[in-house]
Amino acid sequence: MRETTMTPSSNDVATPTQATVEIEMTKNQLSDESSAVLSVRGLHKHFVLHNVDGRRVESLNGIDLDVRAGEHIALAGSSGAGKSTLLKCIYRTYLPSAGTVTLRSPIGPVELTGLADAKLAAIRGREFGYVSQFLRAEPRRGALDIVARAGIARGMDKETATEAAAVSLRRLHLDESLWDVFASVLSGGEKQRVNLAAGTISPPQLLLLDEPVSALDPANREAALALIADLTATGVAVLAVFHDLDAMDRLASRVVVMRAGRIIESGPPDQVLHHLEGVAR
Amino acid sequence: MTSLAIAKCAVTDHTTTEHPSASGPGQTVLRVERLGKIFGDQNPAAVAHTGPDAGTEKSPDGNSVVAAWDVSFDVAAGEAFGVIGESGSGKSTVMRAIAGDHSSTAGSVWMQRRDGSTVDLLTMTASERRALRVDELSVVYQDAAEGLDLGVTAGGNIADRLTAAGWRNFGQIRERAAELLGRTEVPLERMDDLVRTFSGGMRQRVQLARALANRPPIVLLDEPTTGLDASVAAGVLDLIRSLLEELGIAAVVVSHDFAVIEMLTTRCMVMQHGRVVEQGLTDQLFEDPQAPYTQRLVAAARA
Repeated sequence: MRETTMTPSSNDVATPTQATVEIEMTKNQLSDESSAVLSVRGLHKHFVLHNVDGRRVESLNGIDLDVRAGEHIALAGSSGAGKSTLLKCIYRTYLPSAGTVTLRSPIGPVELTGLADAKLAAIRGREFGYVSQFLRAEPRRGALDIVARAGIARGMDKETATEAAAVSLRRLHLDESLWDVFASVLSGGEKQRVNLAAGTISPPQLLLLDEPVSALDPANREAALALIADLTATGVAVLAVFHDLDAMDRLASRVVVMRAGRIIESGPPDQVLHHLEGVAR
Repeated sequence: MTSLAIAKCAVTDHTTTEHPSASGPGQTVLRVERLGKIFGDQNPAAVAHTGPDAGTEKSPDGNSVVAAWDVSFDVAAGEAFGVIGESGSGKSTVMRAIAGDHSSTAGSVWMQRRDGSTVDLLTMTASERRALRVDELSVVYQDAAEGLDLGVTAGGNIADRLTAAGWRNFGQIRERAAELLGRTEVPLERMDDLVRTFSGGMRQRVQLARALANRPPIVLLDEPTTGLDASVAAGVLDLIRSLLEELGIAAVVVSHDFAVIEMLTTRCMVMQHGRVVEQGLTDQLFEDPQAPYTQRLVAAARA
């Protein structure tokens, strides 16, 4: 097994190559902070289960991570490693226990963990978005309407939003006959495409993607991955969780491997992924 | 009350085009500060012996019920804020205190008025409160009999609100009433039927139409779908959400039902035995509840 980069530095004897990569990575990951759209520092999360004898579950144990504009970072690691927890702590669906999450928005840097609820609610979706695995179906709303409304919520006018929604749904191969059907009756794969279209229309500068293509068949998955690749190409910063290595290989500019709530490795997909078989799944 | 932003806002006009509230987004339109309500003996000593730690809202001598104490929250223009709790938690007490249905023991309820001024609702007289309810602060009750006159037609219930706001032209009133009923999905042919003959779901739709008649910037919704069949409730909920969103109305939504709070609100608080046990973003409160009580509630709702 070839170890490219390890954080925190492993006890292994560092070969010159490894040391170089390590320094470069550290520089790459931490020093150029001002250009990062998202900077996570010392992020910890533990849950206290009051109804299970007050049990304490440590989920994140000090995460440091930067995501820059036009960068797609894929989080890898076995289930329970803390990947989704990290996304949810950034979006503050989970309340972080310690550390900082700084979003550099056009109005200046905003520290999200300490932001008042109302202020956070006001910038969620607009300045940074979270695309979950599932569409939280709105009972009596059609697909086109759901996607267009997401665009309007991000400042598009109605006409532009409706056009963009149509383009996106077409691109994701959602049959046009389903566009005005209530989304709650669509299949899992159809809902997931509606969800992805809504999450990526007029995209904010940072998108957190949590298994956004998990329910898609190969053809639809292809289309969805292409759409996500375009986000990066247009400068959106993406932090994503995918369960398959192929998606990471194609989309990620950097793969960050997590284990037990820590980042254990980070590097370009071709250096990291090949020895991850069996770990990331 | 300096932090309440002041927005100039047009006096109610009688056109039928809807537009969002004139207050800008993010501006606080309602602020509840340390609200308290004791029923029975107004004994301040009762407070210390009630609440979640005491496990009751009733004082040891049995003569006072501290239905709500030290309740604070604020609501921005166009925002929906949720209050969730079980029976006896004090959530309806809070709503009724804001609505002015009963007096309060302590605290303030600041509201930004259409003319830009800010007023403490708890210091207003009963007649001032009634005037406020015409076009600035509407209430939708769980029991339609509280919000409507069941012995009057659907159209008549709405016309009543419109005339209170100064509408005089019969044709215009009919037109506006028909438009409102259309918005709340009540078949027009039922406009002249007595509300008593309506189903539960239809009554809630008429209540909504009446509550929104004069485009109030704030609406209070007390268990708006409780007691309705699940499918009917889903339709009414969806309607409420669309209306709040399209009209830019701020709302306080009181419910014991997580699904209602999740669907309608972005922030909410949890009450138990008359106190606030937790407040936060709605998704955070449901996915990562902090207080033991909230964790129990969420676990029970998910089971």
